[in-house]
Amino acid sequence: MNRNQKKILTAVVIIIAISFIVWIIFGGEIFTKTQVLVEKKDELFPDMITKEWRNKFIWGLDLTGMVSFLSVIIGGFFYFRLRDKKHK
Amino acid sequence: MKRIILSGYIFLFISFVISAQGFKVKAGGNQTFYFEDKGGRNQATFFSTTPLEDINGTANGIGGSVTFDVANFAKSLKGTITIQVASMNSGIELRNRHLQSPNWLDAAKYPEISFQIKSVTELKQIADNRLGFKILGDFTLHGVTKEVTADADVTYLDESEQTQKRAPGDLLGVRAKFSINLSEYGVDNAVIGNKVSEKIEVGVNLVGSNKK
Repeated sequence: MNRNQKKILTAVVIIIAISFIVWIIFGGEIFTKTQVLVEKKDELFPDMITKEWRNKFIWGLDLTGMVSFLSVIIGGFFYFRLRDKKHK
Repeated sequence: MKRIILSGYIFLFISFVISAQGFKVKAGGNQTFYFEDKGGRNQATFFSTTPLEDINGTANGIGGSVTFDVANFAKSLKGTITIQVASMNSGIELRNRHLQSPNWLDAAKYPEISFQIKSVTELKQIADNRLGFKILGDFTLHGVTKEVTADADVTYLDESEQTQKRAPGDLLGVRAKFSINLSEYGVDNAVIGNKVSEKIEVGVNLVGSNKK
């Protein structure tokens, strides 16, 4: 493993780790969401609680998986391209 | 003597329970409340589980009406509430499309879900303007009609400055919840099989006005 390959490997591991950290920070949801339900009390009927969709991005495990997968594919490609060719 | 007094108390108690069958509000006679809400605040909610996560959803395309005699609610309540399948939202666009596809609710073929009221039982007077009860009705989903019983409570508000901010006329707030089994309604999802729970919990939060 040459220096360039080490850099690529490190970058891939860092990207995967960051995507997992981001996933945990966003609450560890399985699926990525762009809307969340918010409960709202009715002013006239206090016992009535309605739910309202609010636009909010939630990073899910599916997105983390996709980022990790792409990182491995792209990293693998460059890892292979930058291999040491001096033995040929 | 004691027996006579005790019998008197029992008679009074039974008379009270029997007479407590309606609202004690300013309005009287037959009233019809309409649930079309242009603001989209009236809603039905649905809840289900999958092995991976819980699914919460809403539907705001509510319509229909109910009619009842203010003083004799239990015996006079009639009406139908409808929900537009196209208005169902589960928070994920792809899942919404799936929900409305022919594999699931088939919104194109069965655009409406409905609940037609049949009878009211176990009526309880919670307050002068509030009643709790069980309601039996015909629930139609995916073109299949089955009888369901829902726990419900309704609150009657006479027209006031506060209610006029919401809508003209008297207002009726309705809350109800019940559960259904998907397979009983012919919802047989071939794509994701048994991943979605068979039991779906349905809730409604509606405010209707007696002026259209």
